[in-house]
Amino acid sequence: MICPRCDSDAAELLVKAPVENAWEVYLCDACNFTWRSTESEEITDPARYDRRFKIDPLSIPDLPVIPPIPKLVK
Amino acid sequence: MHYRDLREFLSLLEQENQLVRIKESVMPEPDLGAIGRAAPNLENGPAVFVEKIKGYKNSLVLNVQGSWQNHALMLNLPKDTSIKEQFFALDRLWNDYPVKPVWVTEKDAPVKENKIKEDINLFDILPLFRINKFDGGFFISKGAVISKDPEAPDDFNKENAGIYRIQVKGKDLVGIQALPFHDIAVHLRKAEESNEPLPVAICIGNDPLLNFMASTPIEYAQSEYDFTGALKGAPIELVKSETGDLDVPARSEIVLEGNILPRVRKIEGPFGEFPGSYSGARLQCEIRIHTITHRTNPIFENLYLGIPWTEIDYLLALNTSLPLYRQLKKDFPEVVAVNAMYTHGIGVIISTKSRLGGYGKAVAMRLLSTPHGMPYSKIVIVVDEFVDPFNLPQVMWAMTTRVRPSKDVVLIPNAPGMPLDPSSEPAGMQTKMIIDATTPVAPDVGRETELLEVPEKTEFWLDYLKRAMRKER
Ligand SMILES: [Zn+2]
Repeated sequence: MICPRCDSDAAELLVKAPVENAWEVYLCDACNFTWRSTESEEITDPARYDRRFKIDPLSIPDLPVIPPIPKLVK
Repeated sequence: MHYRDLREFLSLLEQENQLVRIKESVMPEPDLGAIGRAAPNLENGPAVFVEKIKGYKNSLVLNVQGSWQNHALMLNLPKDTSIKEQFFALDRLWNDYPVKPVWVTEKDAPVKENKIKEDINLFDILPLFRINKFDGGFFISKGAVISKDPEAPDDFNKENAGIYRIQVKGKDLVGIQALPFHDIAVHLRKAEESNEPLPVAICIGNDPLLNFMASTPIEYAQSEYDFTGALKGAPIELVKSETGDLDVPARSEIVLEGNILPRVRKIEGPFGEFPGSYSGARLQCEIRIHTITHRTNPIFENLYLGIPWTEIDYLLALNTSLPLYRQLKKDFPEVVAVNAMYTHGIGVIISTKSRLGGYGKAVAMRLLSTPHGMPYSKIVIVVDEFVDPFNLPQVMWAMTTRVRPSKDVVLIPNAPGMPLDPSSEPAGMQTKMIIDATTPVAPDVGRETELLEVPEKTEFWLDYLKRAMRKER
């Protein structure tokens, strides 16, 4: 399934609603985005997801690391 | 008797007409975020208890501390107590630190009523929802995270309780933001240096005073639990976690136990943050949850944050102001009160009597070199001792009638700044601004002014009118 935020074909069903079969939640393995099937198309549709918040999966390794990983100490 | 936990506090709010119940089923999005935004827009913003959320089993409460009325009730004060009076009440309670917790057995700990140790699914317990539209996922925004110093596991004072943003990334996996200056980052660094997981307990639906203290910048070796006891006027009840030898509140609604995975950073965010804008995606830590304990019919308490003021601003208001006040007061006894309520102390108003010319600037410079003021505080306004720093019209009066811009406004460029302040550029650097709105005293000179006096018996009539208004309600 295509992730609406990073457009990777890496999204899968994470969980179904505990009751009422009301919705499903999906998780993108590439950018960790999660969304619910009942959210607006501005969230669930890759073509309509706001460009300002789109993520290029290739840029993820270059994001700042918080907090820094310390050196191993014996 | 004072409330003992979230449930009892919610009953108190309901009696005081400071809680609204929503009985009809609502959708997680966009309704829950919208409720969290709407409640503090009201002058006397109520807590909102959402009984039924579509697709979920458990209920949710929002905006528990989202008004000065609720804040006063949290401090066991009448709900119409003024902000300045709440500030001084908090200052008095602070002196009672430490009030040591008591440890109860499991049968006296409601949080142990239910235990889940396999097939963890956070969605089964927590009605998770997207708080702001472009958050990268569903966040737990009001969980107190408990951790210990791996080099001092028996030092109770170094056990930390802090509220950090937590992004749900799987049925049993969450991300956490531990900024380098947070206490948990000290624990984490020590664990990661030896490639060890750091055990944590995420406590949800806590005594409101514990959440208040978990949001308060106190010293590394001061205990949030001991402070909570001081503010409550009674010890908080703790119980041991299932694993990891942590101390968790016995009367909280839900505790998620897990480990921060050592030396792992994965994409987290964006998340709508307290300055009222999104903080972008970063590579941050992850926690694998292995155990959940919870009360029967647990209440998920979460927090909405948006453009101020929303609930988070009340959690970062007087508890940010008070430590700064106390640090200033040590060397500058003339300081009367400190209002650091604006965006976690990015904006601060200090009220002080001036010992000598330029004193206001000296006090402001001290504030800018306190541990919290150094990175956070950007705009410091200093007013006379008779100006109530919590009363913004009075502060504006001081600014408009006292400030000589050519002498009283000072800029300090390229100083430490707060990365979450979107005007910090580059992130972490900032220009500081001091506005000295005090009346000049010798050797400084100002034009002679004779202030108007408060009429005799004003206090009497103020009290009279307040009582009359209370009866009307
Ligand atoms: Zn994605």
